[in-house]
Amino acid sequence: MSDAPGGANVEGDRPVVETVVETDDATVTENAELERTLGLSGGLAIGIGTMIGAGIFVFPGLAAGRAGPAAALSFAIGGLVALLVALPASELATAMPKSGGGYYFISRGLGALAGAVVGLSLWFGLVFATAFYLVGFGYYAVDALTEVGVAVGAGWVIPLALVFGAGFTVLNVTGTENAAKLQNGIVALLLSILAVFLGFGILDALGIVGEPDAPETFAPFGYAPVFSVAALVFTSYLGFAQVATVAGEMQDPGRNLPLAMVGSVLIVGVLYVVTIFVATSAFGADRLAELGETAMVEVGREFLGPVGAFAIILGGLLATMSSANASILSTSRAIYAVSKDAILPREASRINLKYGTPHVALGMAGGPILLLTATGRVELLAEVASFLHLIMYGLICVALIALRRDEPEWYDPAFRVPLYPVVPILGAISSFGLILFMDLLSQLVGLAVMLGTAVWYLYYARDVRLKGAL
Amino acid sequence: MHVLVPIEILKGETVPASLFELLAPANVTVLGYHVLPEQTPPDQARQQFEERAVDALADVAAGYDGEGTVWTRLVFTHDEHQTIGRVADEIDADAFVVPGAIAELDSLLVPLTGDVAVDNVLEFVEALVADRDVSVTLFLASEDTPEARELLERAATRLREAGIDAATRLVTARPFAGLLAAVPGHDAVVMGEAAPSLRSVLLGEEAERVAAASVGPVVVVRRPDDDGGILKRLGRAVEDAVDDVVEGAGEGKGDAAGEGTDSTRK
Repeated sequence: MSDAPGGANVEGDRPVVETVVETDDATVTENAELERTLGLSGGLAIGIGTMIGAGIFVFPGLAAGRAGPAAALSFAIGGLVALLVALPASELATAMPKSGGGYYFISRGLGALAGAVVGLSLWFGLVFATAFYLVGFGYYAVDALTEVGVAVGAGWVIPLALVFGAGFTVLNVTGTENAAKLQNGIVALLLSILAVFLGFGILDALGIVGEPDAPETFAPFGYAPVFSVAALVFTSYLGFAQVATVAGEMQDPGRNLPLAMVGSVLIVGVLYVVTIFVATSAFGADRLAELGETAMVEVGREFLGPVGAFAIILGGLLATMSSANASILSTSRAIYAVSKDAILPREASRINLKYGTPHVALGMAGGPILLLTATGRVELLAEVASFLHLIMYGLICVALIALRRDEPEWYDPAFRVPLYPVVPILGAISSFGLILFMDLLSQLVGLAVMLGTAVWYLYYARDVRLKGAL
Repeated sequence: MHVLVPIEILKGETVPASLFELLAPANVTVLGYHVLPEQTPPDQARQQFEERAVDALADVAAGYDGEGTVWTRLVFTHDEHQTIGRVADEIDADAFVVPGAIAELDSLLVPLTGDVAVDNVLEFVEALVADRDVSVTLFLASEDTPEARELLERAATRLREAGIDAATRLVTARPFAGLLAAVPGHDAVVMGEAAPSLRSVLLGEEAERVAAASVGPVVVVRRPDDDGGILKRLGRAVEDAVDDVVEGAGEGKGDAAGEGTDSTRK
C-alpha cells in the first residue's frame, strides 16, 4: 500500500485531504476558519456525561449479583483498562485534533481497512451503547411513574425507552438551542446528587451512622467472575474516547484533550468504585441482584427515605438521558468522519438547510438504535457495545506504537504517553483481553458486525488509501 | 484605522453601500460567519457551504469603495461572539460594526455615558469623519453636574478644533432609554465598548441592543486596554492556575503573557 492518501470509492468520491493550520483557537483552511469553541469543562461534560449513566444507575445490581462485593474490583479493573487507553488516545488526539477520534487515528496510523472496520464498528458500537442507555432509562422512567403512584409494570420499560429514543433523535435534528450548556448543567447536577448520596453512604458503610451492616464475603463466587463482570461493566467507561470525536472543536487541544479524557476516566472510575462499595455494604449482593437495574433506588431509600429514592430516580433519569443523548451526537460525528473519507456515501454527512443539523447521520444513528432498544436485552447490548469499543481501543494503542516507531513528519503531539511503550502495550493487551471474558453470544454478534464492515469496505471503498494522510 | 464588519453571511446579511460609505476612510475587514448548532461540526458545514459563502463574501466585499483596503474572513463557528472577539484581536481592529443601513450620511450620535474610553472614542470619530460634512452629537446621560457639562464641553471643543461640527446633549433620563430617545435624527451611532458587566452578560451586549432598537448601524470603538471584564479576567486566572498544576503548561502561559504585552500597545 502506498503511503500517499487518495483513491476513490465505487461512486468515484475521493477522501477530502487538505493542508490546514491548527491554532489553539481555530483550524485555518485555505478559504475559511473553523472556530474552536469547547473548553475544558465542555470536554469533561461530554466524557463524564456519556459515561456516568450506566455504571452507577444500571449496573450495581447486575454486577453485585455476579461477583459479590468484589464487583467494586471489577469496576476498578475496567477503570484501569480505560486509563491505559485514555493515555495513548490523548497523545494521538493532540497530534490529530480532528473530528472522528479513534477512527481518525487508526485510519491514519494503520490504513484504510483497519480504519473502515473501526469507523463503521464505532458507529454500531455507539448504536448498541445508546440502545443500552435507553433501556436503562426505560427502567428508571417506570420506577419514576411507580413512585408517583402510576404503577405501570415492567411491560412499559421498552415502549418508554423507544418513545424517548425517537424523541432525542428528533430533538437533535430540529433543536438548535445550546444543547452543550444543558449537558454541562445536567452533569453538574448529577455530580452534586452523587456527592451527597455517596458521602452519606460512606459514613453508613463505615458504621458511623445507621445500623451496623452484616459483614459479607468479598468475593463469594471466586475471582473469575470479577473479570467477566469487568468485561460487562466496561460499558460504563465508553465515553472518554468520545471526547476525541469533538477534538476539532476543542480550544487549546494540546492541553484540554488529555485533561478531559484522563480526567473524566479518573472521576467516574472513583465514583463507580465508591458506589459499588456503598451499595453492597447497604444491602448485600444477593438483595441487590434481586432488585436488578434500579437497585440503586432502594439503596437511596434505605439511606435517606423517600427523598433518597426520589433523588436517585431523578439522577438515573438524567444520567441515562445524558448518556443516550451524548452518544447519539457522537454517532453522528463518527458517521461524518468516515463519510468525509469516502468510506460511506457523501450523502451521509448532508446538513439540513432549515436547522443546520446533520439529519441523515442522525437518522442513521436513531433508526438502528430504536431497533436494538426494542430487543430490550440489557446485558447483550452492553457487551456488544463494549466489544466494538474495545476493538477500537486496542487498535488505538497499536496505532500509537506504529506511528511512534516511524514518526511521520507531521506527527508532533503536545502530549506524550508516559512510560512508552509499556502503557500502549498493556492497553492493547488488556483491551483485547477483556473481550475474551465476554459471553459467547456477545462475541459472535460483535464479530459479525466487524465482518460486515470489512465486507462493506471491500465492496465500496477498496481503493481508498488513508494511511499517513493528516 | 481598521474596522471589523461581521455579517451572518449565509443568512443573506450584507453590508449596505451606505455603511461602506460611512467607513470609507478606514481599512475594512468583512467577517462572514456562519453559526452552527452543537450537533454539527463546523468542518462538516464547511464541506457543504464553503463555496457559496466564499462567493457571497466576495460579492459583499466588492461593494467597498473607500480609501483603504478591504479584506474578508470566513469562519464557521458555534459561538459568534467568541469568533468576532478573536478576529478583532487578530487584526487588531479599532472598532467593529453592528451593521445597518443609512439613508444619507449627515450626522453621528456619539454617547459618552458610562465607563467608556472617551479619548479613544473621540480619536476614532475624528478619523472617521475626516474632512466630510458630517455633524456629531455628543450625548451624555447623567445628573446635571458641572463635571458632566465639562466632560461634554471638552469633548465638543476637541472635535471643533479638528474642524467637526459638534453639538452636545445632556439628559437625565436612564442611560439606555435616553440614548434610544436621542437616536432619531441621527444616521449612525458611534459608541465606546463598555467594560463587560453582569448586566451586559445578562441582557446581551449594549451595542446589539442599541442596534436592535435603532435601525442604523452601530460602530463600537474597542477599548484600548483590552484586558477584558472581570468575568474574563477571573476565567483567565482560573485557567492559569490549572496550567500551573498541569505539566506542559508552557503554551497556555505564553498566551496569557502575549495578551499582557498586547494590552500595553498604544
